[in-house]
Amino acid sequence: MAKENCRPDGRELGEFRPTTLNIGSINTAEGSALVKIGNTTVICGIKAELALPSSDAPDKGYIVPNVDLPPLCSSRFRPGPPGEQAQTASQFIADVIDSSNIIKKEDLCIEKSKLCWVLYCDIMCLDYDGNLLDACIITLLAALKNAQLPKVTINKETDLAEVELQHKRHLQIRCHPVASSFAVFDDTVIIVDPTAEEESLCRALLTAVTDEDDQLCALHKPGGISLSAEKLQDCISRAVTRNREISKLIDKVIQSTEMSK
Amino acid sequence: MAGLELLSDQGYRLDGRKASELRKVQARMGVFGQADGSAYMEQGNTKALAVVYGPHEVRGSRSKSLHDRAVINCQYSMATFSTAERKRRPHGDRKSSEMSLHLKQTFEAAVLTQLYPRSQIDIYVKILQSDGGNYSACVNAATLALVDAGIPMRDYVCACTAGFAEGTALADLCHAEETGGGTALSLALLPRSQSIALVQMDARLHQDHLDTLMEAAMEACKGLSKVLDSVVRQHLQEVSVLSRD
Repeated sequence: MAKENCRPDGRELGEFRPTTLNIGSINTAEGSALVKIGNTTVICGIKAELALPSSDAPDKGYIVPNVDLPPLCSSRFRPGPPGEQAQTASQFIADVIDSSNIIKKEDLCIEKSKLCWVLYCDIMCLDYDGNLLDACIITLLAALKNAQLPKVTINKETDLAEVELQHKRHLQIRCHPVASSFAVFDDTVIIVDPTAEEESLCRALLTAVTDEDDQLCALHKPGGISLSAEKLQDCISRAVTRNREISKLIDKVIQSTEMSK
Repeated sequence: MAGLELLSDQGYRLDGRKASELRKVQARMGVFGQADGSAYMEQGNTKALAVVYGPHEVRGSRSKSLHDRAVINCQYSMATFSTAERKRRPHGDRKSSEMSLHLKQTFEAAVLTQLYPRSQIDIYVKILQSDGGNYSACVNAATLALVDAGIPMRDYVCACTAGFAEGTALADLCHAEETGGGTALSLALLPRSQSIALVQMDARLHQDHLDTLMEAAMEACKGLSKVLDSVVRQHLQEVSVLSRD
């Protein structure tokens, strides 16, 4: 496979699978997005609730991501509590949200020490065919851009929150991180966007998250075979190109949804 | 919700439908690559996903396998963002376990399990958006998914809810009508033989009204079976055209 520069599904080593995006399909959620990278299908729903800010961060809200890998997405997952892949994915997403500052937690505060928003980002995989982390980050970003929160004010006399459902505002997205995953076979062969089959055969996995200013947000290479620094640099440059492609896709989809409204 | 008129004087319901009118149904089969059979179903605003794996060897304990037929394993769960209030426990709570058991019993009546002894068929159903009729949407989606997986069944299993308001039976209730305090009956039917796989009603109803309610539910199920049949035929046409090329 490596010698012919071709993969089982006919792609080149550096080619991503076709990515499609659909936003705002779930009416019960404040924001939602569905992304398909080849066969991998991931959906994200954003639910917002009101809560009391914690005493050590009284002017910050909360963003709680959660990745769910139910048994329906692949026969390798059993029903029951979240397995280690789901838990590591959830932790990875939480780290990316913190490091890239997609949303400033101060923006989620309604009134200091009294009321703040909690954004529950529930990411669910519907069909698992490799490259879970990329899909999760894309769908999270698209769902956050789609999410609209109602205006909340605190009544001075009763000290209770008043929610105005008619006035809805989009969230302020400060950063657009996009992830790119690579599978390493040896120091010469690195493929982009592995399928489930390729992931099971590879010697190491690498995920690089970059934002729109070509800055690196996160780098994740959990063990596996070693990689030289130049190859790592190549991967990061490929991730930067991918960031532009995905940003254009998300903007195009959001624009077409706005126009159709 | 007192004061909510389920049926207006002109005969229109809360969402503008007539008493025996079903919600708009959209369904697609073969949506996922990993599963043996999959289907996506929309009944009005309720969106359900069903995925079938199997028949395969019994996972877990060997003692669960039956020597003369297949074991059907169902799991019902709702996405946390499917309801207006975020659902904290999507699976494992009592309602989900009860629904999973009902689905399992419904499909044990319809699937020809004697053809696959000592094996297991997994049916996973997920509700992405809930607006009443969760059980019905799940059953309909699971029927399509089983057909997509090529598992032989006695007949389609069609399910629908029916309610009662001001002397008229209402078909296919939405969430507001279900929780409005009136009667709600769920029915799962095998349309060709007119045999009932599951019927459930938890409300007060006068005995005389039961026949009208059951009639309305059965009519609705028969209507749904025509829709499901057309979806299956259309899917077969699309698939056969693709494989011919």
